[in-house]
Amino acid sequence: MTAERLMFLGGVSVFLLTLYWVRSRRLRERYAIAWLAVATLLLLCGIFPTIIMRLAQWAHLSYSAAVLFVALTAVYWFAFLVTVSLTRQHRQSTRLLQEVALLRHRLAQMENRLAGGDPEAGGP
Amino acid sequence: MSSEDRHLIVIPAYNEQDSLPGVIASLQVLPSGFELLIVNDGSTDATSRVAHALAATSRLPLHVVDLPLNGGIGVAVQTGYLFAAQAGGFRFVIQFDGDGQHDATAILALVHEANRANLDLCIGSRFLGASVGGFRSSRLRRVGIGFLSRLISLLGHTRVTDPTSGFRCAGPRAWRDFAVRYPDDYPEPESLYWCIRNRLRVGEIAVTMFERHAGRSSIRALRSVYYMLKVTLAITVDLLRPKEVSQS
Repeated sequence: MTAERLMFLGGVSVFLLTLYWVRSRRLRERYAIAWLAVATLLLLCGIFPTIIMRLAQWAHLSYSAAVLFVALTAVYWFAFLVTVSLTRQHRQSTRLLQEVALLRHRLAQMENRLAGGDPEAGGP
Repeated sequence: MSSEDRHLIVIPAYNEQDSLPGVIASLQVLPSGFELLIVNDGSTDATSRVAHALAATSRLPLHVVDLPLNGGIGVAVQTGYLFAAQAGGFRFVIQFDGDGQHDATAILALVHEANRANLDLCIGSRFLGASVGGFRSSRLRRVGIGFLSRLISLLGHTRVTDPTSGFRCAGPRAWRDFAVRYPDDYPEPESLYWCIRNRLRVGEIAVTMFERHAGRSSIRALRSVYYMLKVTLAITVDLLRPKEVSQS
């Protein structure tokens, strides 16, 4: 199997996979756009192999090194963005965790007060 | 210190069902005006049940907040600061570990020193002059603590001796900001340096610590490398931040 056909197949499968995951609401559209761009790039390279060769010539890089460079940059960038959004997510979930605990405490206090008991006694 | 001042003692507890009763009993020596808050950090043992049972019998008001999941020591302590901010009326918020290694009788000294020297953060130090005897942790950990002390002292132009101590008394200027942002793991050295860099007043008094009653320290040998790297990175990155203390 040639590299071009491999890229074409890869592009098609990334396209389908992305659409499938968006359709089942497991992937947000904002991330899907980036993945669809990757798929399009793969497809283009598969259909028009000369693109890569021209790019390689233009950048004065040998073919394999160019591919490796581009691929690594993409992987790095995606992984980096994932950890950034993970950090934000973590901060948000921490805040919610604390708020839930504090609200549960106040709820228990009010329930106990309504029941006429000691506001601090009783389970969570 | 006026007699009407109310202070909150925050006791983070993760799987401390065995040591909590002793800790709460030891805290009953404090005068009225102190309130206790156990933050159960998503324990998997009976910590929650034990804490609520203690709340029913405690002489000092004892509140119990249950985090539904384990968030780590920093998240638990910050929950205490949030509690103080939402409840209102508290002056000092004191962190006091739920594992029994802190001495309840030193709390008054801590609050007194914070008051006398007008401190925003007063830390109970194991390594300050007078605190001979007592438990000072293993040799390896002392090396790590020594490194962090020198790092923070050097960068902050202030002498600190026990940056990892979890026995600390925060004044309103410090804890109102801690309620907004606080590191979630290994928070002590980082938050101490944050205070120094944001021109809050920091001080230490000598305290004696005990060996832990039960449970295990959250800093284990394998994690110490990560601990040192994380804290060092956090402190040096803080240098690059704009000052962020809220002027209240």
